[in-house]
Parts: sequence; C-alpha cells; structure tokens
Amino acid sequence: MTWTQFVTVTLNGLTLAALYFLVAVGFTLIFGLMRVVNLAHGSLYLFGGYVGWTVAERSGNWILGAVTAAVVAAVAGLALQQALLRPIQGQDLREALVTIGVSIVAADLMLAQWGGFTYGFSPPRAISGGARLPVLDIGYPRYRLFLLAFALVVGLVLWLLLTRTRLGITIRAAIDDRDMVSAVGVNVQRLFALMFAFGAGLAGLAGVVGGSAFSIASGEDARYLLASLIVVIIGGMGSLPGTAVASLLVALVEQYSLALFPTYAAIVSFLLMVVVLAVRPQGLFGRPA
Amino acid sequence: MSALASTRTVLTLLVVGLLATFPLWGSAYFVGRVFSPALFLGIAALSLAFLAGYGGMISLAQMTVFGLAGYGYGVLTVTHGQPWWVGVIGGLAVATLAAFLFGLVAVRTRGIYFLMITLALGMVVYALANQNRSVFGGHTGILGIRAPEVSGHLLTERALFYELCLAVALASYLGVRYLLRTPFGLALQAVRDNPRRLAALGYHVALHRLAAFTLAGFLAAWGGLLGVWYNGAISPTTIDVTRLINVLVMAVIGGLASVEGAFLGALAFVLVTNFASSFTERFNTVIGLTFLAIVLFSPEGLSGLLARPVELLRRQSRARRARDELDELGVQQAVGRQDE
Repeated sequence: MTWTQFVTVTLNGLTLAALYFLVAVGFTLIFGLMRVVNLAHGSLYLFGGYVGWTVAERSGNWILGAVTAAVVAAVAGLALQQALLRPIQGQDLREALVTIGVSIVAADLMLAQWGGFTYGFSPPRAISGGARLPVLDIGYPRYRLFLLAFALVVGLVLWLLLTRTRLGITIRAAIDDRDMVSAVGVNVQRLFALMFAFGAGLAGLAGVVGGSAFSIASGEDARYLLASLIVVIIGGMGSLPGTAVASLLVALVEQYSLALFPTYAAIVSFLLMVVVLAVRPQGLFGRPA
Repeated sequence: MSALASTRTVLTLLVVGLLATFPLWGSAYFVGRVFSPALFLGIAALSLAFLAGYGGMISLAQMTVFGLAGYGYGVLTVTHGQPWWVGVIGGLAVATLAAFLFGLVAVRTRGIYFLMITLALGMVVYALANQNRSVFGGHTGILGIRAPEVSGHLLTERALFYELCLAVALASYLGVRYLLRTPFGLALQAVRDNPRRLAALGYHVALHRLAAFTLAGFLAAWGGLLGVWYNGAISPTTIDVTRLINVLVMAVIGGLASVEGAFLGALAFVLVTNFASSFTERFNTVIGLTFLAIVLFSPEGLSGLLARPVELLRRQSRARRARDELDELGVQQAVGRQDE
C-alpha cells in the first residue's frame, strides 16, 4: 500500500466512523437509559434518509431536508415508544421483539413508497466538491470531511450536554439507577420519551447526512443496524466514549481489511467482536452487568 | 385424567396418520409447496424454540446455521464434486461447528445481549457469504445443487421429499421432547430459570448453554440440508437478515416456548407468504403486523390459542394459579430477572 492509498483508506475509515457514531449513539443512549434494544433503529435511519431526500428534492434545499428528516424520525420514534413500547415497559425481550416487528413492517412499507431505487443527495455547494489536503497533496471529497467535522461537533455537544447540564446529569443518573432518580422526583417517563425521540431523530438526521456521503436504498436499514449493534457490543452499551472509540475501531478495521483482503473483510469485524467479548464481555467501556 | 390421556393418544395417532398419508389425498401444491417447506423451516424454528423456551436463549443465528449446512453440502458436492453422503456429513459438520463457535462467543451473555450478538454474528456471516467468491460464490451463491439419489429416485420427488421432511421433522420433534426429560434437559431449564443457583450447585452453566446451542445448531443443520435440496441452490439471500428474523417470526407465531408450535408457526408463515402474496404485494407487512399482534396480545402464540380450551379442561381447578404462572411471554420466565 502506498502512502497516498494509506491516507485515503484512513480518511475513509474516519469518515465511516463518523457516520457509525452518528447512527449508533442514539441506539446506545436509548439502551443505556431504558434497556430497550431498538432493532428498528436502522429503519429510522433509512426512513430519515428517504424523507430527507424527498423534501430536499422538492424544495431544492438540502438543509431543510436534513432538518425535516430529523424531526420526522423523532416523531416516528416517539410514536413507537409511546404507543408500542410503553405498555410493555420493563420486559426487555418483548420490547426487542416489538421493534423487530416494526422493522419488518417499516422495511416493507418504505419499499412500497420509495421502491428499490438508489437515491443520491446533492448537498450545498459549500460542502460538496473536492478538497486538496495539505499532506501529500491528496484530493478528497469535501463532503466527507464535513461529515467528520459534523460527527465531532455532535459528539462534543452530547458530551457537554451529558456532563455539564442539569438534564445531562439527570440522564446519567437515570442510566445508573433509574428507580432512585424516579424516587427523587424526576419524571422518568418524560426523560424516556425525550431520549427516544432524540435518539430516533439523530438516526433520521444520520440518514440524510450519511446518505449524502454514500447513498440511500432499501437494505441500508439492515446495514446500519448491524453497524450499530457491533459498535455498541464492542464499545459497551450506554457509553458515549465507548461508542466513539468503537465506531473508530470498527470503521478503521473495516476499511483497512477491505483494502488489504476484500473477500474476508467480514471475518475481521467478526474477529474484532470476538476478541473484545472474550476479554471484556461488557464491552470496552461498559460496566459489568 | 386417563380419559384425557387416551384421547390424547388417539389424537396424536390421528395427526401422525393424516400427516403420513397426506401425499395420497392432499393436493400436489399443498404437499410440495406448503407442507414440505413448512416442515424443514419448522425444524429451524424448532431449534430456536428449544433454545428460547428451554434454554432462555433467543438466537437469531439459527437460519445462519441452517444456511451454512446448505453451503457445506453445496461446496462439497458441486464445487468439489464429492458424492452426496460426503456432502451430508460435511454440511452437518460445518453447520454444527459454526454453531459451536457462535456458542463460544455468545453463551457468556444473556437475554437481549444474546439476541444482539447472535443477530450480529448472523449478519456478519451474511456479509462474508456476499463478499467471498472463492468459497461462498459471492452474491450468486452456489447453483445446480442436486439432492441425493437413492435407488434411482431423486429425493426431491414430491411425495418422497415430503415423507423425508416429515420423518426428519418427527425425529427432531421427538428428539427434543426426549432431550428435555433427560438430566441434561432438566439442568438446561434450571439454567434458564436460575443460572446462579445452578452454578452454586456445581453445574457448569456456560458449558450447558454451549452444549444446547451446538445441539440446536445440529438440528437446524438438518433443516438446512432439506432446504438446500428443495431449492437446488443456495445464495446469501437464504441467510440475510429478513430470513434470520423470519425464523423468529415462525417460532413466535407458534408460541416461542412451544415444541409443537414451531411447526405450527412455520406452517402459518408459509401459508401467509404463499397466499397473502396472491392478493397483496405487501405480504411482509401482513407478516410483520401478525408478529406484532402476537407479541403484544397473545405471547403464547397459536399453540397457546389452541391449547387454551384443553388447558381449561385439564386444569379447571388450578386455572387461577396457572394464569399467574404463565407469564405474559413464555420467555419472560426464561430470561429471569438476573439481568437487572
């Protein structure tokens, strides 16, 4: 591998990690707070992508598309949580099964609405086109760099939110001991609804932001569900730093192995998961269950 | 009680007799396109019901094991030109070994973690099969797989194949029923209910779960061999995420903790996919909604619905207690509260 290739592959890994982080962070926070494994998370990503594409195409405004995607996915997530999950709260397996059922229906309805086509976005001119990197004079899509920066900002904002604000402190306390938080007078149900809507909205936003770097098509829901699963299994469920580190690890390993031995790349992510689980069953940053 | 027991025997004989003679009086379509696939898919669903209901492990990798048996058979007989019996032994061995390896990774976790890890494992194998051309044949998979030929008859001839599926299904059904009464089966159910206590009693909890997972893999592998003969080809689509989940749908429709329910669920599933697709393109929505309705309103599934009248007769006096015991979801008890 030449240096140019190496840098390009590394950048591809980093930008993919950015996307994995954006998708998985909602998944892991929802899990951490509510013990709900939302297996419809990939569907929310795809749904956000489709809705965002439709709005962006009609209005010619990419940002409007992204915002609408986030809002619509958040509302969909909230509806899922309030209508289907809340009545069976606390039965974690049953909740996981319900989200599986929702993902089956959602995949089919989205296929009916948007068909099996591949959709591409056209982001604003300021963040599209190519950029020349100062190192080695490598050309790289400007949008991918935007994606990286965007995920960094989201991660930083989330971190500040979780560590520096009253809401964040309440959320972290609820992750540790939700009965106690409820006992001291916090409306935990409202916190749950908020977190679910937030995580779903982030997934929907990622649908547009990630779909603009790659593309949106039916089947992507499963791909990003898998990415979220592996990232949270490796990073430890409910942990923000864990999600960041695991996204980096998974995406970089995936890109390097795709470049080095393309036909066995899937085995490498499997091995990564196995090694982590063998050493730390609770994930890199997870606490023992 | 004895009257009920003899009614039961008569009923069982009647059902088995009807099933065995089905090719004689049933329509060709139902024999070949509905019951045969329902039986081999039912074997995969049975392996899941066994794990979920009695081992407390909801595995989403059962279809992967099923598919790997097919791949093993296909690679050996088509790519390497081996005779069919090598393919059968090889397919079973590959799938069981894969199940053992998955088990090694997954059995240390419980509940939803187990579900997530087996789902991820299954999806990784799908990705591998899709990417890898040299062994798995990439996106196309392996075509032109021929079923064994025994004394001039191809095993996929309609009636013959049906009887074969029925025989394997009955054997696995009885095998699982027997296994659950052995000390191993009882220990497994105890592991499901309270792993900590079992560990304190000196049982090796992880080893029990690993053995159960490997056995379930062996079972699913039999279904996989029948499946690959039926289809005559195997491709990554056989093990994509939709198929992985479909087995769960079958098991849940039948009643997740029910051995009979697995086949009932598979039959219902095949019927819905075959007939709903003739009047609506959105049969996956129909299936998804059915699944949702069952998870939300009738967690014991179809077998729960059917067993209800019998249950009432048998346990009229203990009805109230039974209702408390049967948790909302059969698995609820399986998972235990230790996770919290």
